[in-house]
Amino acid sequence: MVSFKPIKPLLQTGTKASSRWLSYIGLGAGVLLLLVSVQMFINLDHLLNKVNTRKDGFDFISISKKINDENQTIKSIFTKNEIDELQSKPFVDGVAPLIANEFRVHISAQGIFGTDLFLETLENEFIDTVPGSFQWTQGQLIVPLIISSDFLEAYNVFAPGNNLPQMSAETVTRLPITIECSGQGKQISFQGRIVAFSDRINSVLVPKSFLDWANQNLGEVAEHGATRLFIKTRDANNPDFLSYLDQKHYLVNKDKTRLGRTKQTLQAVFSGLGVFGLLVVVMALMLFSFYLQLLIARSRDSLQLLLLLGYSPKWLSQNVSRQFIPVYIFIVLAALVLTQLLQWAFHHTVMYDRPELSSAINWVVVVIATGLIILSIITNYRLVRKLLYKLY
Amino acid sequence: MYLQLQNLLPLYFEESKKQTSEIWGKDLQFAKGEMIKIVAPSGSGKTSLTHFIYGTRADYSGAISYNNSNIKQFSFENFANWRKDHISIVFQDLRLFPEQTVFENIDIKRQLNPFHRSEKIKEMAERLGIGKKLSSKAKTCSYGEQQRVAIIRALVQPFDFLILDEPFSHLDTVNRQIAMELMMEEANARAATIILADLQRVDFFAYTKILYL
Repeated sequence: MVSFKPIKPLLQTGTKASSRWLSYIGLGAGVLLLLVSVQMFINLDHLLNKVNTRKDGFDFISISKKINDENQTIKSIFTKNEIDELQSKPFVDGVAPLIANEFRVHISAQGIFGTDLFLETLENEFIDTVPGSFQWTQGQLIVPLIISSDFLEAYNVFAPGNNLPQMSAETVTRLPITIECSGQGKQISFQGRIVAFSDRINSVLVPKSFLDWANQNLGEVAEHGATRLFIKTRDANNPDFLSYLDQKHYLVNKDKTRLGRTKQTLQAVFSGLGVFGLLVVVMALMLFSFYLQLLIARSRDSLQLLLLLGYSPKWLSQNVSRQFIPVYIFIVLAALVLTQLLQWAFHHTVMYDRPELSSAINWVVVVIATGLIILSIITNYRLVRKLLYKLY
Repeated sequence: MYLQLQNLLPLYFEESKKQTSEIWGKDLQFAKGEMIKIVAPSGSGKTSLTHFIYGTRADYSGAISYNNSNIKQFSFENFANWRKDHISIVFQDLRLFPEQTVFENIDIKRQLNPFHRSEKIKEMAERLGIGKKLSSKAKTCSYGEQQRVAIIRALVQPFDFLILDEPFSHLDTVNRQIAMELMMEEANARAATIILADLQRVDFFAYTKILYL
């Protein structure tokens, strides 16, 4: 086995130690920046995806058209083309229009209160709570209703001030409600029964079969269409989705997408940092390659003589470049350990040990660190081999 | 094992050289075990010839083949293996590592493919009168001492051909004789060929063939 030990003193480093340390520090800083950026990118992803944990894995958001001074005379109804276009987008898993009543509706409850109200209907698939009783067939007197749980909350807030009794959800479902529908010169009364509350839909919902029938028989509007659409999507924070909605000037339920916008900004910041880190890594590797070239140029006579004596250029390249492997591994490992410490500190102090995050760095970061070591070893070896073959 | 020279001529020599030389422009074959003496006055291309054969220069026409393989077709790795196992050389300009000791200079060659154990280095050095110089840096040795270091370095590996380019230029007669004896012994131990190129005849070299360059 040929030993590299007697060869080592023949390699004249000669360069100033300071310039070598500068390239080590540069490489370390670049790698650290890169790894931390990747880790923070992943942290953000975990943090913001877990916040919106949904029972069935989908987000449901309603959109409407922006009403402003310019278009207030135009009806803000979604056309069939617009609905089809939305449906065709990869980030949309389903679209359903919210159909409203096209006749007058008056609701009263045993003299407790009475008001003109709107009714809407939506595909059952889009409603979070659909009990079996949420059905209507023609001729049925009782109309099941699903109302927003916010309405009950609002009622209970203003009820005491208006000498009205506060009501629990159970009480409300037992409350007989009278629905008077009028239009086309006719007036029909139905009995309403609240069968469920929805956390998702801010409306008073009736079965589709009822509203279809009523709109046909009592409706007074020639133009049909939906002013609100419900969208089913896997990720309401998807940047493509958000920019599409912006571009179309659709108004969104902001609550659901606000996090997404923060995530967009932060991820852009960390992407930028990551790219910067990568740039620093590349510069440091270049500095290292200059250092290697200088080393080989300075040791030119010795290396040439070794080749003359019968040393294999392949063996020499491998062994010369191998001298730097421990340095590379040390630098990348140090950066990895520092990233781990930062992640632990971030999780522990800034994030108060939130369960969505881990104190340990993500495996992707470890893979990237390993990749960097392999990359630097390979580029080093190839460079040394190229330079040595030139000496032949 | 044989070395063939076919119609060899340095690119910078005129064709007329072929008329007067017994090597340039001729077809020659050296078999293993032969002792070849090449008498080459200054300017006849002696050093060029040794470098052509060793493969460090290729500015010639014609062909040099080792066991029917043209050495111009050798890859870098082929050359490395050839120099490690089959051919050894004493350069006219010695080519030592000046900052390394005498022992290190020899052992760096020996470890590539050890024909001898490292103790043999001391033995040979003592025989050639440089036993006390083993731990001195090569650059502190006289040219004559350095010449003996280069000779020992050429003898610690296996070889089929030993190329010597003016190996005794700075040695006195006694040392020339001792060095020649050592080289003959080592060549015989390997049943190898010596190709010795020098300005004039070397009396104590028992050559089997003499060629005038």
